Amino acid sequence: MTTTSEQSPAAARPATAAAATLSLNKTYGSGDTRVHALRDVDVSFEQGRFTAIMGPSGSGKSTLMHCLAGLDTADSGQVWIGGTDITGLKDKQLTRLRRERVGFVFQAFNLVPTLTAEQNILLPVALAGGTADRDWFRQVTSALGLADRLRHRPHELSGGQQQRVAVARALLTRPDVVFGDEPTGNLDSKAGAEVLSLLRRSAVEMGQSIIMVTHDPVAASYADRVVLMNDGELVGELDHPDADSVLGALAKLGA
Amino acid sequence: MLQVALAQVRMHARRFVAVGLAVVMAVGFLTATLMVNASTEASLANSIGAGFRNADLVVTAGEDGELDGAMAAAVAKADGVAEVYAQRHSRVAFGSGTQAGFGLMQDLAPRSLDSLTVVSGRLPAGNGEVAVDDTTAAKYGLAAGTSLKLAAGSGTVAARDLKDAAGATVTGVVKASKDPLLMGQPQLHALPVLAARLAGDSGYYPSIQARVADGTSVTEAKAAVESALDGAGSVVVRTADEQTKAVVAMFTGGQDQLTIILLAFALIALLVCALVVSNTFSVLVAQRTRELALLRCIGAGRNQIRRSVIVEALLVGTAASILGVLGAIGLMAGIIAVLQRQPDTEFAVLAVPGHAVAAGLLAGVVMTVLAALSPARAATAVAPLAALRPVDDARLGNRRGKVRLAAGLVLTVAGGAILALGATTANLLIALPGGALSFVGLLMCASLFVPPLVRGVGQLARPLGVPGRLAAVNAVRNPGRTSATAAALLIGVTLVTMMMTGAQTARQVFDTQLGAEYPVDITVTDRALDGRPLDQAAARTAARHEGVTAAGLVTVAGSTEIDGSQTPVYRLGPGQAQLLQDKSLVLDAGTVLVPQGSGVKTLAVAGAEGSKTLTAVETGSRFFPPLVSAAVAEELGGPAPEQADAGAGPQLWLAVDRELGAAELMQLRTDLAAELNVNDYQLSGAAIERAAFNQIIDVMLLVVTGLLAVAVLIALVGVANTLSLSVLERTRESSLLRALGLTTGQLRGMLALEAVLVAGVAALIGTVLGVLYGWLGARSALGVFGDVAPSLPWLQLAAVLAVAVVAGLLASVLPARRAARLSPVEGLATT
Ligand SMILES: Nc1ncnc2c1ncn2[C@@H]1O[C@H](COP(=O)(O)OP(=O)(O)O)[C@@H](O)[C@H]1O
Ligand SMILES: [Mg+2]
Repeated sequence: MTTTSEQSPAAARPATAAAATLSLNKTYGSGDTRVHALRDVDVSFEQGRFTAIMGPSGSGKSTLMHCLAGLDTADSGQVWIGGTDITGLKDKQLTRLRRERVGFVFQAFNLVPTLTAEQNILLPVALAGGTADRDWFRQVTSALGLADRLRHRPHELSGGQQQRVAVARALLTRPDVVFGDEPTGNLDSKAGAEVLSLLRRSAVEMGQSIIMVTHDPVAASYADRVVLMNDGELVGELDHPDADSVLGALAKLGA
Repeated sequence: MLQVALAQVRMHARRFVAVGLAVVMAVGFLTATLMVNASTEASLANSIGAGFRNADLVVTAGEDGELDGAMAAAVAKADGVAEVYAQRHSRVAFGSGTQAGFGLMQDLAPRSLDSLTVVSGRLPAGNGEVAVDDTTAAKYGLAAGTSLKLAAGSGTVAARDLKDAAGATVTGVVKASKDPLLMGQPQLHALPVLAARLAGDSGYYPSIQARVADGTSVTEAKAAVESALDGAGSVVVRTADEQTKAVVAMFTGGQDQLTIILLAFALIALLVCALVVSNTFSVLVAQRTRELALLRCIGAGRNQIRRSVIVEALLVGTAASILGVLGAIGLMAGIIAVLQRQPDTEFAVLAVPGHAVAAGLLAGVVMTVLAALSPARAATAVAPLAALRPVDDARLGNRRGKVRLAAGLVLTVAGGAILALGATTANLLIALPGGALSFVGLLMCASLFVPPLVRGVGQLARPLGVPGRLAAVNAVRNPGRTSATAAALLIGVTLVTMMMTGAQTARQVFDTQLGAEYPVDITVTDRALDGRPLDQAAARTAARHEGVTAAGLVTVAGSTEIDGSQTPVYRLGPGQAQLLQDKSLVLDAGTVLVPQGSGVKTLAVAGAEGSKTLTAVETGSRFFPPLVSAAVAEELGGPAPEQADAGAGPQLWLAVDRELGAAELMQLRTDLAAELNVNDYQLSGAAIERAAFNQIIDVMLLVVTGLLAVAVLIALVGVANTLSLSVLERTRESSLLRALGLTTGQLRGMLALEAVLVAGVAALIGTVLGVLYGWLGARSALGVFGDVAPSLPWLQLAAVLAVAVVAGLLASVLPARRAARLSPVEGLATT
């Protein structure tokens, strides 16, 4: 059931993956303070699946996600999103790519405080100058239980509701991938479980590819697959994880 | 807590740059103003003192008194006086070739008291010799060796009048005196004998200079001279130094008023600066809520918190004030250096009075600290618990000072009522305080009308998509901050547009006034410089001149008696009625047009072939000469011969192009005078008066706008400052937007729009207020002249708005660049 291998076999087919990297390297600082945040990372994320990236704090999870999502650039290596090689794209092209083909759910500060929930959900569409698919909008917002919260501003919503608004925003453009960086990190366990089930359902029912960074084994157990990182390197993966198997794998890393 | 304050200023130096800049400008302005005054005095002393530079004592006439030759002799005999120079001035006419002019003849001083600087040639040594100043030499083409005709007298002079006058040879050219009393007129110098001969009885002694003998103290000599002149009349004996000071004091009586006006503008700049400083500190305190709360948690008292903010203000204020004073000194030194290179102002001297430096430093520091008091109090209101609460990103709606609003409303209404009263009763002294009060009131309740207006105008940005919508929302995110930023800009814009509207309205009023005051656009009177009367040829020359639409020679038809004095009566030829400003005047065989206020029903006009009694029709102009039709003139048969000798000659009446500007009209006057061979002042009339008046208004407006520009500039620094602080505050939000697909261009555009919204709305409100104040002010000041209709300088107002919008754009450049440099991940890092 649990396979731990040095390299993902999917890395060979970046063109058909939801997102993939090839020998990605990134360092911060120089000299004594030099940190290798990513070392030769080769990884591929299949379409329509919910993958969790796990590892101890400082292992490079967020850095990997930022590079995958076109928020940051690596020192060397290649990155694909939905079959497109985004390595070396200019800021303008990356920006367009983000608003059209990527969705985000962050740990906090997910919403623009001056906009209503509905405006926040529609923000990427509005930024692209397009119009939203109203049927899809209704479907997504009612599935997320937000139908009666659309006119509220973020400070009038609970933490869980705010994260659900962020999820709705991420799903609305039917992006190639939705990225989540500790999306439940600031929530209590009940609200967290709600958001995670929603993410899982969107992968299962809508075939949405999702990549989520987390250090919480329970959160990771909602995923189809877990990718383990340590010290900037990929150190293994688990298919169909549960909280115990994840804990076990983490314990092996000495974290 | 000093440590905390120091750390703040050091850590966040960039946040204080804009406040510092605002203070530097305001302090610089104030210091420069005070230095202008001191430097003017020093420069005057330098130019006036030059005339006494070799004298020890100077005797001048006291009040009502006059100096004479006997006094000079008495001074010469006084103990301890080595040499005396009784400077004598007389008016002389001089001619060279075809040119002639008037000048001031001064006798040469004995060598030891001589203060002239010879430029070329030498000083006169014989009685047929003169020296002239360099300006005159250049103007009349004189040089050593030129022969001159000299005669006593004043009045109009033509070269041919001097053909029998005595001759003299120019031996040298000297530097023209920079004494303001002598400057601008030709200065001639000759030995006392020639000077006395020309002066006759007409000369007068402005001063008697004396040199004190070696070994005698100036004080002793002064006492000796005083006793020698005792009983000789009203005289004042001063040392050369005292004399210079006394003359400077006489000249700078008016200078003080200029300084007061300049100081008023400096105060406005300081006020605007205070608003910017206060606003900045409020923002800084708001941004530091958590940090301040943490300090409170670990035991800092309210007073310590307050003190730390005030110490920050003190540090920033002191540093900026020192820079401001240094900047002012540098600026003035630069200006003086330029002036010293100009021949007319080479006597300029830089003066850096201690009081200017002290006032600049003090005003800057006190203003900054005072402006920071209220933000400092706000800082003490931070509860220790705030450190533990999650940050509330959308701090929508803030507590407004209800007291301030109420006081502002009262001031606005009361001041407005007083202003209205002043405007209706045409009393500027009532209107001025009313206007000032209402404006202060409006500024105090700016938070009532600025945010709604910004929100309203922000709707216009909606079509620009997300950036436009967000900009509109962000512009009023913190209404208090927006209001204060806009208020600072509002002050300058209101004052500038008020001046523009006032000037335009005044122009309108005076145009109407002058139209009625003078019969025609331009009248050319008197003879040409060569002594010949004006004739038809002159009329044709004038008519051909560019800008002149019609010209006519108006001849003398006879004479009449008005108010007991003989007055020439002129003949209005056929077709010349079009020259008159007042087209409604009709002249027939039975009427004579008379000046306004003549108070006569009929008028007897006498000519060479008889006299005629005509019905008098009063015109609207006091300068209107009595005027009869050509038919009447025919009957009178021209002026009586004795009258023709009396000097009243034909006049040239001109109509000029209405579109000509003030400068063009003044040029037209000069050109035409040269072409007709007359003096400039022989051309007068409505157009000339209008041009002269408009030029004065234009210059005043330019100066006032320039002075207010400092305040506007400071306010714009405030706009940039507020924006950049807001950008800092919204780092996370900007990052989120960038992550979600906002391009850097859109981000920049969003911030530019935000700045333009605030600046534009402030300019819009300022313009509306300025127009209102300008019109009411003009009514108050000029209401006595009649009805004052508002007259709007549309182009200038549009320019003000355009400048505000462009300046808003510019103000956003730096903050936007910083915001755009931020990568999406940097701001998202979770804490
Ligand atoms: N902006 C940065 N500057 C310097 N070092 C950084 C920066 N961001 C991350 N790092 C370092 O890179 C490593 C990986 O960081 P990160 O990807 O955030 O880890 P994780 O998300 O797994 O906790 C850490 O050692 C972190 O200290
Ligand atoms: Mg992380």
